[in-house]
Amino acid sequence: MKEESLRSPDVSVVVIVYNDEARLPTAVRSVLEQTLRGVEVVIVDDHSTDGSYDVARRLAAAWPDRVRAHRLDENSGGCGAPRNRGIAEARGTYVLFLDSDDVLQRDACRNMLEAAETTGADLVSGLCVRVHVDSRNGKEVKWYPWLYTRTRTLDSISELPDLLVFDTLSTNKCYRRQFLVEQELRFPVGIHYEDLLFSAQAYVAARRITLVPNRVYDWNVSDRATEKSISNRRAEIANFRHRMEIHRRVDRLLADNGLLDLKFHKDVKFLKHDLVLHLRDLPFRDAGYREEFAATARAYLESIDRAAYDEVDPIHAVCALLLERSDWDNLLPAVDTLTNRDKISAPLVERDGRVYWCAEHLDDDFARHVLDVTELGHHTKPVERMFLRNVLTGYAERSGTVRLAGRITNPLGVVPPGARLTGELEFGARRKGVRFQTFRFPVTALRHEGDAIAWEASPDLSHGLRPLGVVDAVWDVRLHLGVDGVRTTTRLTACEPGLVAGRFPVRPRLTRLVADRIAPEVSSRGHLAFRIVTRERVETLVASGVRGTPGRLAKSGYRGAKRLRGRLTSGDSKIRLYHEVFSRLPVKRRLVVFESHLGRQYSDSPKAIYEEMRRQGLDFEAVWSYAGSPEGFPDDAVLVRRWSLPYLRALARAAFWIDNQSYPLKLTKRRGTTYLQTWHGSALKRMGFDEPEWKLRPRPAQAEQQRVLDRFDRFLIRSEHDVRTLARAFRLKEKTLLRVGYPRNDALVRARREELRAGGPRRRGPLARELGIPDDRAVLLYAPTFRHQGGRQRRFELPFDVERFADVFGDRYVLLVRSHYLNHVVLPPSVRGRVLDVSAHHDVTPLLELADGLITDYSSVMFDYALLGRPMFFFAYDYEEYVHEGRGTYFDLLERAPGPVVRTERELHTALESLDEQSVKYAEARDGFVAEFGEYDTGGAARAVVDQFFSEWRRA
Amino acid sequence: MTATVERDVFFVSNSVDELGGVTSWSHQMARLLTGRGHRVHVVGITPPGVSQEIGDVPYPTTTLYAGQPPRPGRARDAGMREQAARLTALFRAARPRAVVIVTQVWAMEWVALADTRGLTVIGMSHESFAYSRACSRFQRVRRHYRDVDRMLALTREDADLWIVHGMNNASFMPNPLPFMPEVPSPRTGKSVVSIGRLHDQKGIDMLLDTWAEVAPLHPDWDLRIYGSGEDEELLRKQCTDLGLDDSVHWMGRTGDVPGALRGGSVFVQSSRGEGFPLALMEAMAAAVPCAAFDCAPGVHEIVRDGEDGLLAAVGNTGELARRLDTLMSDKELRDRMGEAARVNIQRFTTAEIVRRWEDLFGFLER
Repeated sequence: MKEESLRSPDVSVVVIVYNDEARLPTAVRSVLEQTLRGVEVVIVDDHSTDGSYDVARRLAAAWPDRVRAHRLDENSGGCGAPRNRGIAEARGTYVLFLDSDDVLQRDACRNMLEAAETTGADLVSGLCVRVHVDSRNGKEVKWYPWLYTRTRTLDSISELPDLLVFDTLSTNKCYRRQFLVEQELRFPVGIHYEDLLFSAQAYVAARRITLVPNRVYDWNVSDRATEKSISNRRAEIANFRHRMEIHRRVDRLLADNGLLDLKFHKDVKFLKHDLVLHLRDLPFRDAGYREEFAATARAYLESIDRAAYDEVDPIHAVCALLLERSDWDNLLPAVDTLTNRDKISAPLVERDGRVYWCAEHLDDDFARHVLDVTELGHHTKPVERMFLRNVLTGYAERSGTVRLAGRITNPLGVVPPGARLTGELEFGARRKGVRFQTFRFPVTALRHEGDAIAWEASPDLSHGLRPLGVVDAVWDVRLHLGVDGVRTTTRLTACEPGLVAGRFPVRPRLTRLVADRIAPEVSSRGHLAFRIVTRERVETLVASGVRGTPGRLAKSGYRGAKRLRGRLTSGDSKIRLYHEVFSRLPVKRRLVVFESHLGRQYSDSPKAIYEEMRRQGLDFEAVWSYAGSPEGFPDDAVLVRRWSLPYLRALARAAFWIDNQSYPLKLTKRRGTTYLQTWHGSALKRMGFDEPEWKLRPRPAQAEQQRVLDRFDRFLIRSEHDVRTLARAFRLKEKTLLRVGYPRNDALVRARREELRAGGPRRRGPLARELGIPDDRAVLLYAPTFRHQGGRQRRFELPFDVERFADVFGDRYVLLVRSHYLNHVVLPPSVRGRVLDVSAHHDVTPLLELADGLITDYSSVMFDYALLGRPMFFFAYDYEEYVHEGRGTYFDLLERAPGPVVRTERELHTALESLDEQSVKYAEARDGFVAEFGEYDTGGAARAVVDQFFSEWRRA
Repeated sequence: MTATVERDVFFVSNSVDELGGVTSWSHQMARLLTGRGHRVHVVGITPPGVSQEIGDVPYPTTTLYAGQPPRPGRARDAGMREQAARLTALFRAARPRAVVIVTQVWAMEWVALADTRGLTVIGMSHESFAYSRACSRFQRVRRHYRDVDRMLALTREDADLWIVHGMNNASFMPNPLPFMPEVPSPRTGKSVVSIGRLHDQKGIDMLLDTWAEVAPLHPDWDLRIYGSGEDEELLRKQCTDLGLDDSVHWMGRTGDVPGALRGGSVFVQSSRGEGFPLALMEAMAAAVPCAAFDCAPGVHEIVRDGEDGLLAAVGNTGELARRLDTLMSDKELRDRMGEAARVNIQRFTTAEIVRRWEDLFGFLER
């Protein structure tokens, strides 16, 4: 060992401490217990006034070869000076920093050393985890884990700007000591947020940086500490000034090194994160703070690249702009949306076909651009799907009755002046699982005031609110606003400082002994709530109550109830119920269960068959399955929610299953049931066992899948192409195939025949009127296939500029946009009447019948629409990507498309110049396409199905 | 680098001579380390179910149990301690700085009970992370290897996945090339070669689907499928159904891998899952370019896509067919990639891998 202690250690860990004698030994022990043995500890005490330095010296005495203790001559008040001293004292080849209240993961030094020596990096950085030491269930939050998913080495920080922008810690890193010395890297002293500048300098100076996915550093966070650490005291304006100053220094560093791209990334992050952090507190602060804050922020905002505004969420950009303009009236509501995403907190205005956050500032081009929030799609939402801001304007309590008044935002006049208004306040326990009861109180006055609805209410909480106690300490308040019978729900925003206060009696049912008062409070989201207040003198009693018998009983009671409900409604027990109970009931001879697209729609061939059965007046019992809402499903059938018990019972007892996709995979079909699988489209893309994902499955999983497919007794086929593709891909037996065409397409074939017979211009049906399409416009339908979008939203970005389309073609065409049911699209008000979103229509067939031309890409509607003999356009802007990176296609669309294949918006516009020309040019190609892919679609599919399976149900 | 220290090295596996890749690997490494002056001892927990010939070995071997140990439970626990004591005795007799390499996580259950103080313990996972993830080994690795000095996966990528899943002691070590044939393939025969057990994991069913797309484009080529296994009958039937009997040859199991490779100009691998596939390394050593499903990190660690072979998304038979077609259509490309493969695969030579092991032993002592 002696020989080793002479060698310089591999790693020095600089542990800084200030008045933290209790935790220092834990931090030091985490270093001494490292799996890497060649590690020394350099403790630097920032002139503590407690016994920290004595503790440090005792540790040094206990491990003389491995621990050294130093003390600054006077307190520096920050982390910079002690760490700088540590760098000077360190002897190791590498240096790490550790704070006295944190710990190093035991393999940290070994893993970082290995990485450093393998790659020769100046800087190795690993995963930091924030450990919430006060949380009951050991809450841990990884610090920017997406940066640390794999080992990677950077030759320059510009390869990964996010690293500098987000991971600004200095402590989860291992620095080559010689690198620190040569580059003269030191922490700034006398300013907070020293980590931000130090880490930025280190990133920029390092010739090589290695990131490791290993957890290296546990940052212990105390949630209820009375004396919060420096970085937590956001409320202090001085801190904010320090922060801005550090940002300015980092910006200068980046500019000096020509790292403009990094500066841009940093600007984006500033708008998205840093500013948000401070803005969220703003409504809770007084006017003086707000002014000072705005003055400091404004100066910095001026240095932000304006292009960065385009890279952040609209609400982030809006807030930054309003702050820059000191427009408090608009900013404070905007901050509400910042905190509560999707809340509509401003009245919004529509100008020239676009929707803006507010009416102010629109004369300035940049402001107008930022305030344009059309893409949020608020103008397309009905009032019941809006989350409206409801700001509390009055609060007064007298003998248990609370007088409340407030204003609900009325964006874009969604609540019309003459609307019948109703209102109700609802109090519900916050804790999940104890929401057994809610308490409701009337809203006594409601007034339409243009861009807001004013309301008043006086709930008598002392008598009307009856909490259980203990388990339901916090009660949230909601206001339900009824607009002509449609209900929208709001929360009460009460962040104005000092607005709500006081406590008054309530009568808990269980535990009046320990608590019988309630007080208003404001949640972190700014919403009014009430909390049952514990009497101070019995606080210990409460503790024992919560943990003791009454609390345990109450808790175990609701947990048990929750568990039971969970068990009864779980998928597994439902499946068991289906097999063991429902399937033992006799099959009902005339019961038919219908479903389309997993219950999402009343559409497609199941609908066509159903309607044919009704038309012929068959004697049968019909059940339709729906997934979301039963709206739009037929009145003359029994409607059951998919996966409900009635649904399962109907399936178990049905003589026929008819659907176009699949009934639940785990349900075994009974022998007495016939499954007619109509399927929902011919295939361009590879399907079933021709898809890589299916092929890959191990044999048992493939066998399981095959069992599911073998439930099909009949599978509808519309051409031999289907036989070669779908039937083979699903490994269906020949006798299963029913070559009758698609019932859904009967209407299209008939429409074509009628057209040829009648000649002259086509007569439009009622749908055109319903959609308000003028007679002199031709109708184009854009129906792209489903696209997997990354991210949370299923927003589908149209691949062309819809406003430009409306400008160019608006006087000739009405464009119907139908996105796949899993995607959704937002159209600006400017295209109203010229471009319509028809995605919500259940059935596409009437839309196809209406359209004078179809624009698609790879959707199977092409096979159906071709039957109409009308022009088709293939906007295959991402063909190669779609075909090659996806699962592949059965044929090359570019060769076989019966219409122009265009790649760009410009080409699309050119092709759309003349429908007639395209119609003539591709007439032959379309006929060939129909012959190949739709040979059995001859208009009598529904009738053929009925004849074959249901003819005996005809009434005599 | 540090001067070579001669150490005592223990390999502990499920069995000393069980049929499989881990056994071949252990004895290859044991011989190599013995050759470097280390004192090696190979330990198996039980006798094998199906054994494999390991020949005369220049180091001792020990098997703890005479028969199969009892099923997990009290009976096994009692016996385990006794067997672990035998391990302890072996370990205690070792010189300082000894190393225990546990090649399979099941064996770790015994090593964990033995006294390993003062020894470096290394636990290995000889399969891809994804393969472990899909079975009980995922939890067992996390439990039993949690406290070893180093847990070794086969590639950096696999190790990173283990780390993200909480194995902070994970690192990696590639397998060494089994042999370097003197004579590379002339790449003149119009044959595509596949070598592997006829088992679901090797995806021969997908290879046949692939070949059904390629064969019509290259009527003068054939596909030689080496290997035997439980699925042979099913696969032969599939082959017949696809109408491929004329161009597919079922070669059976071969003892002469270099010979089989010399007969081909392209090697194909269509596995659903792999670890660090030796078959690819052998083909590359024989200068035969590979087309393979990229089914594991080990595959793209070995084959540099587009440089010394071609990879396809796993399961995408259309893509694998296009890769094969590319190689079969272009003699010049085959030659270029084949030669590059033979050069590039040298980074896994036995000398290189032994050096990395010795460096690791040294590093874990620091």
